Amino acid sequence: MNDLERRYLRLLRAYPTEYRRTRGAEIVGTYLDLAAPAQRWPAPADAADLLLGGLRQRLRAAGVTDLIPGVRLAALLALVTASALAGVWGTAELHPPPVEWGVPHVGPFVSLGVVAWAAWLLAAAVIAVAPSRVARWAITFALLLTVALPPVAAALGAPRPPLMVLLPQVVLGLLGLALPDRSSRAIRLAPALSALLAAVATEFLVGLDAVGTYYGATLEIFLPTVGGLLLVVGALLATGLALGGDTRGGWALVTLLTPIGFLAVPGLADSFGPAYGAITFAELAVTAVAVALAGPAALLLAVALRSRRTSSPQPSGQPCPTCGARA
Amino acid sequence: MDTPLREPTFLILTALAAQPMHGYGLIGEVAALSDNRVSLRPGTLYGALDRLVDAGLVEVDREEVVDGRLRRYYRLSPGGETILSTETERLRRNVEAATARLSKRTRAALPTTPRTAGGLA
Repeated sequence: MNDLERRYLRLLRAYPTEYRRTRGAEIVGTYLDLAAPAQRWPAPADAADLLLGGLRQRLRAAGVTDLIPGVRLAALLALVTASALAGVWGTAELHPPPVEWGVPHVGPFVSLGVVAWAAWLLAAAVIAVAPSRVARWAITFALLLTVALPPVAAALGAPRPPLMVLLPQVVLGLLGLALPDRSSRAIRLAPALSALLAAVATEFLVGLDAVGTYYGATLEIFLPTVGGLLLVVGALLATGLALGGDTRGGWALVTLLTPIGFLAVPGLADSFGPAYGAITFAELAVTAVAVALAGPAALLLAVALRSRRTSSPQPSGQPCPTCGARA
Repeated sequence: MDTPLREPTFLILTALAAQPMHGYGLIGEVAALSDNRVSLRPGTLYGALDRLVDAGLVEVDREEVVDGRLRRYYRLSPGGETILSTETERLRRNVEAATARLSKRTRAALPTTPRTAGGLA
């Protein structure tokens, strides 16, 4: 056994034990057939293929085959939301407070955030016109810029968007990486259209002086409202699809609970903390950690419940769906 | 299995329609059939084969060990042949309809050539 085979076998641990026993040699053999003569390491794409294949097989063994399509649907909704938020914040960045207020700003923009929002808007445009593989790179680029904002702003002493704005954007973007490999043109256009509509609406409201300046907006109300809207859209979609016997919407809704929770963090932190004063960093951090644990836990619980229901014995007299035998 | 078939599934069934094939052969055949547009990786291929076997469209034909590596051959089942024929017929009708409409459109768009007075004679 050479190094390459050993490494493929290590990656194969992503699959359930029983499946590895029956299919492992065949899968690794095919990888070795495809490998270049001097290849010593599996390609990153091979590793991703095996890890995803293993996850699919584990979900299949648990009877949860519709989870991945549900996550892909949730990814599209997450990208629409992330793009709309980028449209809102990107437009707000163009309206810094009057100079006489003495509020620090970055040139003609409110903060360094303009760079990240521009990257998110670019990602929305790329999703509309390019294959999913390229779109994932554009999303990753926007994610990296967003994550880099706090340390870069600290190093430069420049203003940046608040963490409670950046955090849900990162979570929405991470989920967005699971976007489907193939989608209709209308679906691919949705993030760009939502960004455009959000930008136009924000420009209109700024013109009316209805939202004040960028960070004058009440985040404790605005972000949870966006989360609430996402929850309502997800629930309506889940109900509509369930009426047609399609369970993807239910899984999409459960998956979206995590980003919805992150959007609600300012509201939750505000309601848990004292009735007066601004939200402290500690309140935000504790709430964010609680959401980060509760959201995925809800998904895992749903998977476990579904798996138990799927593996329960068939009612007497009903044929087994696999072998046709009657109980 | 739901129809219309997804393109990778259609191509796997098409590849198996000629003869039983193992995983490595299937990956090459699917790439050739799609002009290298669809490139299946083993993890994805075997996931698809599992679903096709469960749906009764593909069957295991035989197993061989070549150079110490297990090769399992798969063949199209009678059910798979029926689905592939139905799907091919559906696609053929779509192609014919689209071809007819496009040629009609091309004819309508052709500029009318002015006739030479008195003809060419």
